[in-house]
Amino acid sequence: MSTGLAPGLARVRLGRFEALRRRPVMLFTAGLIVLLAAVVAGVVLGNVPVPLSDTLAILGHRFFGIPAAVTWPASAETIVLELRLPRVLSALVVGTGLAVAGATFQGLLRNPLADPYVLGTASGAALGAAVAVVIPVQIAFLGLGLTNLLAFVGALAAVAIVLRLAGGGGGGSLTSMLLTGYAVGSLLAAGLSMAMYLSGQNLRQIFFYLLGSFATASWAQLAFGLPIIAVGSALIMTRSRSLNAMLLGDEAALHFGLNVRRERAVLLGLASLVTAAAVALAGLIGFVGLVVPHVVRLLVGPNARLVLPLAALYGASFLILADLAARIPGELPVGVITAVVGAPFFLALLRRFRAGYEL
Amino acid sequence: MVLTLLLAACTSLPSSGTVNSLPASYAPNPTIAPNPTIAPNPTIAPVPTVAPLPTSLPNPQISPIPTLPPAGDTLPPAPPSVPATPAAIAYPLTITDDEGTSVTIPARPQHVISLSPAITEIAFGLGAGDRVVGGTDADDYPPEAAALPDVATFTGVIKEKVVSLEPDLVLAAGNGFNHPADIKALRDLGYPVVVVYAKSVDQVLADIRLIGLALGVPDVAATMTADMEAKIQTVSAAASALASRPRTFYEIGSTPDIYGPAPDSFISDLIEMAGGKAITTGDPNVFSIPLERLVNADPEVIVVGDALYGVCPRDVEKRPAWKSMTAVKNGAVRPVNDTIVTRPGPRLADGFAALARAIHPDISLPGFPPDVPICASP
Amino acid sequence: MSGLEVELRAVGLAYGRRQVLAEIDVRIEAGERVCLIGPNGAGKSSLLRCLTGLGQGRRGSVLMDGVPLEELGRSRLARSVAVVPGSISLPFAMRVEEVVALGRTPYEHPLLGARPADHAAVEAAMQRVGVTALRDRDARKLSLGERQLVVLAMALAQAGRLLVLDEPTVHLDLRHQVEVMQLLADLNERDGLTIVAVLHDLGLAAHFFPRLLLLDAGRLVADGPPSAVLTPERIRDVFGVDPRFVPAVLARS
Repeated sequence: MSTGLAPGLARVRLGRFEALRRRPVMLFTAGLIVLLAAVVAGVVLGNVPVPLSDTLAILGHRFFGIPAAVTWPASAETIVLELRLPRVLSALVVGTGLAVAGATFQGLLRNPLADPYVLGTASGAALGAAVAVVIPVQIAFLGLGLTNLLAFVGALAAVAIVLRLAGGGGGGSLTSMLLTGYAVGSLLAAGLSMAMYLSGQNLRQIFFYLLGSFATASWAQLAFGLPIIAVGSALIMTRSRSLNAMLLGDEAALHFGLNVRRERAVLLGLASLVTAAAVALAGLIGFVGLVVPHVVRLLVGPNARLVLPLAALYGASFLILADLAARIPGELPVGVITAVVGAPFFLALLRRFRAGYEL
Repeated sequence: MVLTLLLAACTSLPSSGTVNSLPASYAPNPTIAPNPTIAPNPTIAPVPTVAPLPTSLPNPQISPIPTLPPAGDTLPPAPPSVPATPAAIAYPLTITDDEGTSVTIPARPQHVISLSPAITEIAFGLGAGDRVVGGTDADDYPPEAAALPDVATFTGVIKEKVVSLEPDLVLAAGNGFNHPADIKALRDLGYPVVVVYAKSVDQVLADIRLIGLALGVPDVAATMTADMEAKIQTVSAAASALASRPRTFYEIGSTPDIYGPAPDSFISDLIEMAGGKAITTGDPNVFSIPLERLVNADPEVIVVGDALYGVCPRDVEKRPAWKSMTAVKNGAVRPVNDTIVTRPGPRLADGFAALARAIHPDISLPGFPPDVPICASP
Repeated sequence: MSGLEVELRAVGLAYGRRQVLAEIDVRIEAGERVCLIGPNGAGKSSLLRCLTGLGQGRRGSVLMDGVPLEELGRSRLARSVAVVPGSISLPFAMRVEEVVALGRTPYEHPLLGARPADHAAVEAAMQRVGVTALRDRDARKLSLGERQLVVLAMALAQAGRLLVLDEPTVHLDLRHQVEVMQLLADLNERDGLTIVAVLHDLGLAAHFFPRLLLLDAGRLVADGPPSAVLTPERIRDVFGVDPRFVPAVLARS
């Protein structure tokens, strides 16, 4: 490291973050404050003005039993409790799930460009949703529409196929797993195209599913997605040590005493389950699972013990705010917002790759 | 992978390997070469390519219509003068909508929300415009409907606005026009939602009567539909009296593919009723027609349904391969106001007359308003 | 801390039908420093894999302090044997301190993570190897020599009683080669670690290791001090090189 300009620059660049890297506690505190602010903003702001005092009174009245004279219109209560709150919480849960799953896949596959959809989840979910739209059957289960259900099933089926083809849960090589994921994804995308071609009038529904949205968020959907994502993410976090051990590759992980095959299968399964629940709730929302883990890693380094919970915190806040930005002008697809924020970041990331700096 | 999907799905390209969200080589070392095809912008890029989407929907259309010509005198005769007789209906009223859902309306609706431009037209046509409190951003007729608060857009229903307007009746359009999840959400919030969807002219009339019933003005609806039926009868009779039944292609859209009516669809039925032989896509689920099929069918009349979107007969005549068609050779390429032809509302009878005139320019339809010129001379 | 005693009994290994190791019987005493030498494909790395529990389909038995590898369990094995890989690649930028801390993985509480004892071990390992000053540098930006020292520190943090190294000096310049060798000798002599390394440089092997194991075509052909193992005949027969080209090796032995 004694010669060359680039290493010197890299040192400066890394040095800028050193102070932050030493302060995970501060980052956790800041993350909690940001999340709280995002939740409050998400519940207070919307297409229709509801005074802050009314909003707080409604929430206090309903959840904490604070006695208050009902001075607000019934519509305000419906807006806050039935529309905004489930929507904000759905964004929170999905943001958490995608960020945690993204960080897990990046770590497991040792690839900075991996995202939660890397093993075909997105294609499977999209095909499932499209099939649900095309077939003339309307059933509901646990408050979920057929679209949500088939998206969930499709996502899990796609991952199962990929893992099976790539040589079993965790046995195959990483590259073959990624390539299989891509190949299966392309095949399913062809099926999706066909389903869209056949969908006729309902093409718009499939299209909006592909762009992602929280417009249909409800307590019933949340009751399905929240437990899966919360438990799945928590279980992933309890396996931080395994993720860390795999940072240097399979052999090193074996030398650290890890049952690599089992741990990888478990982590792949959990991350896929979380992703499937997230896409079932909100459709395909890109960039959250890719960008948030990278930002967090820039701040605290690759230690999964810090990356996972921080990514969960900031992913949740990011998606709540992105959804807010999507619904204030009147139901833009939230995937467009995350892309508008995420794409420039991704470009900057690529530029740094070219310039010789890595995340 | 999202990018791949969107591209694969939203362009007509097959999912080739050109847009790959992950490079094939996963060397996790610092010299990893990022795949140059990871351009994040494709996520946004496909949006414009949905443009043909609305035009592929032969039924109610939510899409901004740039310059709608005034058509004031085509309104059915003065419904507000007919006295409503609410006493004739007993509330709570339970009706079955077009999707078979049983909907109970507790009292005569005073705050009505319309989720499609056709329904808005019907409500205003039935004299209930003063009870409509919210509509869509595509409402354009009657002109005062455009001023309603927009609670629905192309992307969906803005539920907060619906709730804030405290409606006692929501009228929605079926078959995917309004998102089924939105309809379900509104029902879950406790609002009576009546969904209408017309596959035929008769069903349009039935829907107008259903909406009239829901709004508490069944007698006004009966008058309106009887009048419409009479007009349609007049036009059909005049059309069938003519000797010729020209092969007719109704162009719904032309970007990027040529979109036309599917067999047994609303438009193909209208063409047959108006004295033409409809050239269709050949498959009820397909809305685009291969050019070869069209050339082979050799239309004698081409009705330019996308004239409102800037496609004029002279543009159609300039298209290569279209010159061989009889319609182009004979100058039988005629624009029509697509809104009144395809919108399942009160102006449908006038739209039917306009379509009959486009197919048979020499047809005699006294008593019908003249067509509003769309393209300057064809 | 005392070194680990290792014994291989009739160890054989085959990849498919290709036999890479056959009938290896070796005993390495606690606190010994042993170097595996031999031409490419002789089975040196395969033998190391058998020692660290990675050799799948191994025949024969490997005993650590008299306990068969299979009975030791992953966790105890990871606390007993630390491996210094030939090279490492990192998917993300990582500070040197964080890389060294990975060595504590076998000791970390699955939920609570690193505890004070782990931090102390990381600190001690960095000091022992002399990379404390590099603590905050991006490990991917280090020179190869520095990187090798960091990996060594990681292995020391793992606190194994047997240190296994696969060509730790490859790519290094002369000064770094000697530095690493001196460090290994010191760890062996002062800390009592058992060390097993694979080296290609016969000169370094002969100079820094009191005991050499010469492998050829999967068989152990010589075992003993450098002077006994590196004879002109073996240089010619095993390596296929005229002994006159490597006078320094012979002179040292």
